Amino acid sequence: MADEKNLLEVRDLRVAFRLDRHNVFEAVKGVSFDIPTHRTVALVGESGSGKSVSAMSILGLLPENAIVPADSRILYGGADLLKAPTERLRAIRGKEISVIFQEPMTSLNPVFPVGDQIGEVLRLHMGLGSRAAATRAVELLSEVGIPEPHLRMRSFPHELSGGQQQRVMIAMAIACEPKLLIADEPTTALDVTIQKQILDLIARLQERHHMSVLFITHDLGVVGEIADEVVVMQSGAIQEKGAAREIFETPRHPYTKALLACRPRLDRRPRRLPVIDDFMNGPGAVDLEERSRGVKEGDAAILEVKGLAKTFFLKEGLFGRKAVPAVKDVSFRLARGKTLGLVGESGSGKTTVGLTLMRLHDATGGEVLFDGKDLLSLSDREMMAYRRRIQIIFQNPYASLNPRFTVGNILTEPMKIHGIGADQKARVEMAFQLLARVGLPEASFYKYPHEFSGGQRQRIAIARCLTMKPDVLICDESVSALDVSVQAQVLNLLQDLQDEFGLSYIFISHDLAVVKYISDQIMVMNQGEVVEIADADEIYLNPKQDYTRKLLASIPRGWDASRAAA
Amino acid sequence: MTAYVVRRLWQMIPTLAGVILLIFFLFNWVGGDPAQVLAGKISNPEQIANIRKQLGVDQPYWYQLLVFVKQVFTFDFGRSWSTNEEVSRILMTRVGPTLTIMVPVMLIETSLSVLFAIMVAYVRGSLTDRAIMVICTTAMSISFLVYIIFGQWLFGFILGWFPVQGWSESYWKNLLTYAPLPILLAVAVGVAPQLRLYRSFFLEEINQDYVRTARAKGLPEKKVMLKHVLRNALIPILTNVGIYLPGLFVGSFLLEVFFSVPGLGREIVTAVNRSDFPVIKAVTVYLAVLTMVVNLLVDVMYKFVDPRVSFK
Amino acid sequence: MSAVLPNNAAPAVQESPGLWTLAWRRLRQDRVGMVCLVVVVVYLAMMVASFAGLVAGDWNKERGVSYANPSFLAGAENLEAREVTNRDGESRAKPVDLSDIDPLAPRYKEWEERAAKIAVTEVKRSETLPFGGDKWGRDVLKKAVKGAEISIFVGLTAAFFATLIGTVLGALAGYWGGRVNDFLEWFYNIFTSIPYILLILAFAAVFKRGLDTIIVILALTGWTGIYRLVRAEYIKHCGREYVKAAQAIGASHASRMFVHILPNASHVILVQLSQHVVSFIKAEVILSFLGLGVPVDLVSWGTMLAEAQNELVIGKWWQLVAAGAGMAVLVTAFSMLTDSLRDALDPKLK
Repeated sequence: MADEKNLLEVRDLRVAFRLDRHNVFEAVKGVSFDIPTHRTVALVGESGSGKSVSAMSILGLLPENAIVPADSRILYGGADLLKAPTERLRAIRGKEISVIFQEPMTSLNPVFPVGDQIGEVLRLHMGLGSRAAATRAVELLSEVGIPEPHLRMRSFPHELSGGQQQRVMIAMAIACEPKLLIADEPTTALDVTIQKQILDLIARLQERHHMSVLFITHDLGVVGEIADEVVVMQSGAIQEKGAAREIFETPRHPYTKALLACRPRLDRRPRRLPVIDDFMNGPGAVDLEERSRGVKEGDAAILEVKGLAKTFFLKEGLFGRKAVPAVKDVSFRLARGKTLGLVGESGSGKTTVGLTLMRLHDATGGEVLFDGKDLLSLSDREMMAYRRRIQIIFQNPYASLNPRFTVGNILTEPMKIHGIGADQKARVEMAFQLLARVGLPEASFYKYPHEFSGGQRQRIAIARCLTMKPDVLICDESVSALDVSVQAQVLNLLQDLQDEFGLSYIFISHDLAVVKYISDQIMVMNQGEVVEIADADEIYLNPKQDYTRKLLASIPRGWDASRAAA
Repeated sequence: MTAYVVRRLWQMIPTLAGVILLIFFLFNWVGGDPAQVLAGKISNPEQIANIRKQLGVDQPYWYQLLVFVKQVFTFDFGRSWSTNEEVSRILMTRVGPTLTIMVPVMLIETSLSVLFAIMVAYVRGSLTDRAIMVICTTAMSISFLVYIIFGQWLFGFILGWFPVQGWSESYWKNLLTYAPLPILLAVAVGVAPQLRLYRSFFLEEINQDYVRTARAKGLPEKKVMLKHVLRNALIPILTNVGIYLPGLFVGSFLLEVFFSVPGLGREIVTAVNRSDFPVIKAVTVYLAVLTMVVNLLVDVMYKFVDPRVSFK
Repeated sequence: MSAVLPNNAAPAVQESPGLWTLAWRRLRQDRVGMVCLVVVVVYLAMMVASFAGLVAGDWNKERGVSYANPSFLAGAENLEAREVTNRDGESRAKPVDLSDIDPLAPRYKEWEERAAKIAVTEVKRSETLPFGGDKWGRDVLKKAVKGAEISIFVGLTAAFFATLIGTVLGALAGYWGGRVNDFLEWFYNIFTSIPYILLILAFAAVFKRGLDTIIVILALTGWTGIYRLVRAEYIKHCGREYVKAAQAIGASHASRMFVHILPNASHVILVQLSQHVVSFIKAEVILSFLGLGVPVDLVSWGTMLAEAQNELVIGKWWQLVAAGAGMAVLVTAFSMLTDSLRDALDPKLK
């Protein structure tokens, strides 16, 4: 069975976690796949698919409550790694097989300079002295593209940017010329332009050092760019595996088809996004009619923002304070019943715009004209009447609902505050209707948020906003934390609601494909300033600014048939 | 760095003012008329008026406050109401014996706790770990008084390994003869809670991502603990030691009472029992100042332990 | 906040477990925690019974001979008891007759009669008591029960008030930030820049002795740790999206502070309360030992230990054991219950 070409073979891997005395959670349920020599294998799946657990089993880096049954095997170099003695495993770790993780900030030890942390591997596995290790570490830093490696050697992790931290992690991982690099969602925490650079770097190093790479990700777009082989996982089991070309061009399993279809694409805009159920229980995507988007000259504006500015102040020195401008002179118009997409990388100020214009922050300057009334100059009492008309849905579905409230409390509270509904009975009735509208069963009314999944919670958050019948809804990265399949469902719901109630959206996201799909108009922001505003199609076809072009070029394109041909 | 220290010193002023106000409020307002206390049972109004005049408590409050502030800055709190000894002299002579006991206690206790804690954290979840934790919890539940009473009786009276109590003029005799038993008892009591606390610090660090990275590098578990985990856990440990450090000067008051050590702690207990306000006021103010200085030193030390700290 | 449900066609209402119910279920799973809970409840029941006078109401009665042996050591010699008895005998010997010059002499007889009556009501002093007697022949076991009542009462009440102060101030500072926070932080800094023990002693120096005083002292000096934690909780939760969402729907400050955030910080507060009960019981014992705590006509574990110090030297160990063990069992159970409680309330920390 041991094929010469396979560097590593995973056979019938099962992993369970002991939760408490009685309960065991099965995370991986009999998974088998190979990692061929000098190839990149992508392990793709949504959260809870068991992809990271499978990869961490290889080096025995599972948490302490993990149970791996004896018949699971991971064959490497003629031996089973799961049963290898600790010393053997340690000799392999970092030398023959190394890992980079999702969060470079927390994965580096905060109290040691990065040069020491790279040198540590070299001293351990290559037997280098500290001076030789330091010299080699400088070379490695320069190889992964860190400017002034001599100086950066002495930097502590917190002094580097996220992208640089991940480069350091990579330098540490390739220090001993490993045969296999395991990359566990290495770009998920990074901005899209940095993601592009890191992916390119990994691909280049794989080529140069003749490594195999096991690339774990939830993002099929990334997979298409980097993988030779793809393994698709869902709730602990493999649904499909094969060469990248097969997976992308002729997917066989409905789950794979669904994953490929529910992610919004840059070149198409169906009226509804296909969702997973269409494939698992039905014929697949049916409604493929295109929707056209854009804002016309004559469209009435519901919201007009002029010169909005927000500056934060940090204490500095003896008495001084330092001004940190987060938003500078932002102006835009939101047309009634339309969607304005707000894109930008982290630190671009897009979220601050959202919070400031609905007065969750105090603005430093500017005007927010809502139906002609400047919201920023209203008193708190006057503002109350407008609060219900402009609402927000946050990013983190786990943090945006009060864990001590039942869904019923969550939905009736805003109605009580704003005197909506004649009495409690009417409010409860309305809450039931709204639950049905967002696709949740009536019994949800009596439950607590912790009993719902991320997507369901986001529906509850949407229902909460709808209780107040708002005119404007700000979606602050509202689908970013969700898995692709769930993301598609929530995007469809938002679109349905807009069609039904004529809502106007401000859709804030770092995900350019999603923004392109949902928006009529797009505003690109960078470092607190507006770079460009234009119709969605216009901005993707004819970006006017360099920054917009750079941003667009960084979007993972997914499968590219020309690459396979090469 | 200098700017940081200057700013911190500057920030101490309102705190110190607050401490002075609090003490003034307690002793000159809540504390009532000390003359009644001092004059004792056999007193006539004339005597009391006389004492009031001597103590200055017949003056308006603002004047008394002024006097107090002056005392704080001139280090002159006058004389003890009960022994007539100069307060500054009391402070000077009582600090020595207290530190003779408490400095070794602090050093032994901290190093033992860190050592045991890392050992226990290394075998976390095992039977040994759980057994030690139960022992610690139980040991913490027994009153310090029981330890002292029993320890003094067993080691002093029954076994006769140490003198039951006493103190001498010679530092070395004190340290080697009279101090060991109090030190032993204080360490026995102090290790359990610190061990528990430091173990939780280590466990907290063990769950961090960088520990996984260190393991992924192929480092042996011992090295992971002694280099990566220990270095990070030192940060909260330093904070904790910083909190207890000012307590060094009064922390041993029970031991001093039991073992007749002429230290600051016993002096305070005596002063409280005799309503000897000048002594308590002086000790409180100066220990507050000392605490603030120690806190500043600890914060400066962070810079050397935690590179993320910046003095801005 | 709970919504009143209309009867019409309500769907099958399944009682959904809230976070408290879930925490309680987790605690039920924890055998050690449940045993500790039972122990604590027994102590509390004992405290209530003793307070109501159902048990140990007569702890002050001198039932036995001085330093009466425990029943299980009935045979042991008791020199001290004999000594005292002898002395009693001497004092009963007729004193020199001074009736001629004593103006009160005619009334002696009357007094003697009255004294005789009282003496009759006093039963013969027992040689042994269940767990021994103290210097005055009082039942040590009853003393320990009565002492438990006082010590636990002080611990609970003081912890309640300290938690109240700490929670209110912490919530204000954490929620409002800015000037309110600056002022309260100043206040906090004042209290924490004086070493804790010294702070307690300084307060003890100016207040009169008494049960209420010791509660006030412990509460006024012990709120700082809770304040700090509650403040941190409020700062953390104010940044959470659910609080921002509450602001967005127009919930008032009061509603956000108390209806939204407080229940989410309540587990921290509960654990703190529980920890402070333990540390205040310990503190009360030490203060009472030093004579700064409960007044002389009451008994607490601390005053018992104060007596025990001298008794041990003459071999009378029972008072030390009764008070020490009574306290150790409660405090162990309480501490372990606190740990279980924390695990049950916040499973992530486990």
